[in-house]
Formats: sequence, C-alpha cells, structure tokens
Amino acid sequence: MSKSKKKGMSMRQRRTLEGLMFISPWIVGALLFFVYPIIVSIRLSMSELTSMNGMEMSWVGLKNFKDLVSNDTVYITNFLESIKNTVINTPITLVFSLLIAIMINRDIKGRGAFRTIFFIPVLLGTGYVMDILVNNGASNVVSGGADSALITMIMKSVGSTFGTYVQTFLSTITTVLWKSGVQIILFLAGLQSIPGSLYEASRCDGATEWENFWKITLPIVSPIILLNFIYTMIDSFTDASNPIIADIEHQFQNKGALDVGAAMGWMYFLFTFIVCGIVLAVMNKLTFNIGER
Amino acid sequence: MAKEKKEKRKISRRESFNIYMQNTNKKKLAKKIIIYVLLYLVLFDLAFVFLYPFLTMILDAFKSDADLLNSTVKWIPTELTFVNFKLAFKELHYLSYLKNSLIIVFVATLGHAIVCSFIGYGFARYNFRGKGVLFAGVILSMLVPTQVLIFPLYQMYAATGVLNTYAPLLIPCFFGFGLRGAFFVFQFRQFFMGLPAEMEEAAHIDGCGPFRTYLQIMLPMSKSSILVCSVLSVVWHWNDSFEPSIYLNSAPQLQLLTARIPEMYQKLAQFSEEAVEGVNAAELVINQGTVMAATFLAILPLLIIYMFVQKQFMEGVERSGLTGM
Repeated sequence: MSKSKKKGMSMRQRRTLEGLMFISPWIVGALLFFVYPIIVSIRLSMSELTSMNGMEMSWVGLKNFKDLVSNDTVYITNFLESIKNTVINTPITLVFSLLIAIMINRDIKGRGAFRTIFFIPVLLGTGYVMDILVNNGASNVVSGGADSALITMIMKSVGSTFGTYVQTFLSTITTVLWKSGVQIILFLAGLQSIPGSLYEASRCDGATEWENFWKITLPIVSPIILLNFIYTMIDSFTDASNPIIADIEHQFQNKGALDVGAAMGWMYFLFTFIVCGIVLAVMNKLTFNIGER
Repeated sequence: MAKEKKEKRKISRRESFNIYMQNTNKKKLAKKIIIYVLLYLVLFDLAFVFLYPFLTMILDAFKSDADLLNSTVKWIPTELTFVNFKLAFKELHYLSYLKNSLIIVFVATLGHAIVCSFIGYGFARYNFRGKGVLFAGVILSMLVPTQVLIFPLYQMYAATGVLNTYAPLLIPCFFGFGLRGAFFVFQFRQFFMGLPAEMEEAAHIDGCGPFRTYLQIMLPMSKSSILVCSVLSVVWHWNDSFEPSIYLNSAPQLQLLTARIPEMYQKLAQFSEEAVEGVNAAELVINQGTVMAATFLAILPLLIIYMFVQKQFMEGVERSGLTGM
C-alpha cells in the first residue's frame, strides 16, 4: 500500500473517511428508522399515555413493567407460550434442516428436484398464503388428524401425557418444516464448501460414514449451525403467530394502549436478547472455526 | 520342505484374503443398497410433507363443486375445471393488485440490492474506530422485532404525511433497513470479506478511487450475491403482511396482492354461514376451490421467477459467503 498523503490527511484518516462514506446510508437510516423509534418506544414504555392526539405522556418509571409482571396473567401466559414455541421449534428445525441438507447434498438421482421441493416453503413460507395453506390441513398431514390410530395407541400404551406430547409434536412438525427452507439452503451451502478430499482421506484411513459425520461434517458446519440457531430463534421469537406478538399488535391496534404495548414489547425483546446472547456465548465456544486451525 | 510349506501357507493366506474381500464387498454393497433405499424413503416422505399443502392447493383449485363436496375424491378430480380460476381472477381484481405488488417488490428489491451491497462493502473492507459498534447496531436491528418499533414509526410517517403511500415501505430499503435489510447488509459483508484484497490493492495503486473501485471492480464480482439478495427480498416483500397492513390501513386499493387472500377467506366463511342459514347463494358464490385458485394465482409470479433463476440462485447461495463465517 502506498503511503501517499492527499489533502493533508493521514492514510488512516482517509480510510476512516472512505469507510464512513460507504456506511453513511446505513447511519442515516439507523438514526431515522432505528434509533429514533427506539428512544420514543422506550420513553413510551415508561410513561402513561394521557392523550392520544398530541402524544402527551407522563413519566411513571417502571410501573408498566411491574403491572405486567404482577397483575397481567394473560401476558405471563403468552410470554411462557411464546418461549415454549421457540424452545420446541428451534431444535426440530435445526435437526431436520441439517438432515435434509445432508441427504440432498449426496450424489443422488433427482437432487435438483428435491432441492426445488424443499425450497417451495421459502417461496410461500411467510404471511397470509402460508397461513391459509397450513390451516388447510397441512398441520395434520403427518399425524393424520387429531385422533388417529397411532396417537390412540401411544396414549394407551405409554400414557396420555406422552401421547399428547407426540401429538403436538406431529402436528407442529409440518409447520416447523415449512419454516425451515432458508435453514436448509444455508446448511446445503455450508456442506458444499467442505472439500471432498477430507472425506477421501478419512475413508482411506478406514473411517465409517458415521464417524465422518461426527468428525468432519459436524465440526465444519458448526458455524452455520450457530448462524441457523440464531436465525431460527429470532424468526420464532418474532413470528407473527406467536401469542405475545399478536398481543402486542392487539394493544396497539384495538385498545390504543401504546404504553402497555411498548412495555410488553421491550420486556419480551430484552428476554430474547439475553437468550440470544447466552446462545452465542455458549455456541461460540463449541463451534469449530476452520480458519483457526 | 520347510520352504514348500511356507509357500502353501502364503497362497492360502492370499486366498483367504480374497475371499474376505469378496465377502466384505458383498456386505458393503448390500449395506449401500439398504442405505440408499432408506435415504430415498426418508426423502420422499419429507418431500411429501413439504409438497402436501401445495398439492392440495393446486388440486382443490382444479376441482369442480361436486368434487369438492365429495369426500371420496381426494387426489384425482373427476374433471378439470377452470371456473375457479376465472372467478378468483375476478374476485382478486388480479391485474390491478398484481401491479401494486410488482411496484413494491421491484423498488424495494432494487433498494436492497444496491444499497445493502454498498454498506456491506464498507463494513467488510474498511477498518476504523467505532466500526465494531456500528456493526453491532446492524445485528441489533436484526433482533429487534418490528412490532416494538411500529408505533413511533407510524407516528413519524403520519407526521410527514406519507401514510397510505408506498413510501414507508420503500424508503427504508434505500438505507439498509426495511424488511430484513440488516440481513442483507450482513450477507454482503460476509461475501466481500471472502474475496481476495489483491484486486482492490492493484486498483488503488493504479489510482482508482474507492467509489470507482467498488463500482467497477467489486460490484461485477458480486453478481451471485446480488441475485441471492434479490430473490430473497422479492419473496419476503411479496409475502409481507405486517407492515403493509399498518401503513396502508386506510388505502385498501394500494394493498399487496397477497393481502386479498384472507379477505376472500373471510368471504368464504361468511358464505358458508349463510348457506347454513338456508340462504341459497348458489350462483357466483366462492368456494374452497376459488380460494385455493386465488392463492395459487397470488404466488404464481413468484413461482415463475423462481423457475428462471433457480439454478443460479442455488449456486449463488453457495458462493454468497453467507456460510463462510
């Protein structure tokens, strides 16, 4: 690199300026569409709205939050329900999408067709269309309806608690699978980046496919597992079908209780943020970075 | 004598080795076949689960009234009708809403593709103080759900008088925000970080300015990443429901095409209630088939686009650097 001094600026200053030039649209956007609404929203969550028109509000500190925790039973139930959804959905999504990606990454006939099929949910996988399709029987394609023979058999033999668990698992699995299109693609891309010579070498040393999976595939795709983990979690936490998100929307649109809605949103976000932070911290230690060898 | 014996043992050892190899080869082959059979079984099963809602949609759309009511007709309609499509086309006001969707999707995707790659390049290639904080901001904006920020934004747009226009949906896209804009910034950053720096250094030595370096050298190299960004942006905007429903609340004629679907669904529920009450609305009544035909029509443009770019899209994902963390 040449150390030319143009316009009396040091190299470093110039790099900073150039970098800022590239990032400047984002900075402007962040101030307008991110920082400003955040400040208003936080202020709103700590105030009581006295008049809707002029946005007049009086500062009440953490009262809204306290009310939510101690008085609002619906909120707590929704909160727990949303967490439960995420806790159930995330591992299923990760395991199935990795499994599918590994299968369609193999040299099999009809690979292109399978890829297209597994990408279809990405095309339809959000919004109204998805809702309609899933409501129209997609949710019980696996379990074969609410009271299928399989479920009754399980209920009788193992116990009703386990039976209901299996039932919810089977009925949610389609919905969950339908939301894992992006994850499958990311895993597939990660798998493609693994050099084939690694597998060849290990096969020469007598490793089985099972060992290959645990010693080669999994460590190399582990950063993508982290990426997908975070992506899935955020997706699930902020999913419009989550009761808490629906509740927040309801507060805004029908009740006009903007202060309470904002408090609900922030408490929920804080929680998701902490969870994501913990996952990042834990997974970062577990992931294997190929560049660091 | 001893030598002969040794020879014999050697042969027998080789033979036994050959037999051993043959057996293991046979075993290996059998194992391979079993694995492949299982693989295809699982794949077909999963493919069925993925395709089921899609297939029912298409099949229902082609079924006549009689077939829809007949529970024995599940997979193969007795006759193919296009009545549902005709009706859905009319009910949706297809062309005018298609135009809305196309405008939003086109402009928003253009914004995302141009601006997010620009920003992503800055994050990937320039090091300066405070960059880490700014990038943390990008990640943070991915995490904060829109629902939390929607009200202040709504107020802001109301104050500037752009409510019930496309501006609230489109303008943020040109600043690296909008629908999952941060995701695209992140994607481009990852992509540019994976490219070798030699080209830029050479350009710099030859006296090429930073903006021109980006425009004439880096941008042409990022075609695959731009394609991935564009496809995802198109799909997500096409299916977006939350923000349009808020910002276009009192301008239903500006709504997206997909927003018409739940409306039709409500109509269907209403009609079936009326039917229960004994009101005979046999003519021009929409049924399950019509709604499914409408759904199919609403996503048809996406399917067509995807058909054309599918191959490049998959290749693009592999090279987009999304996974090269």
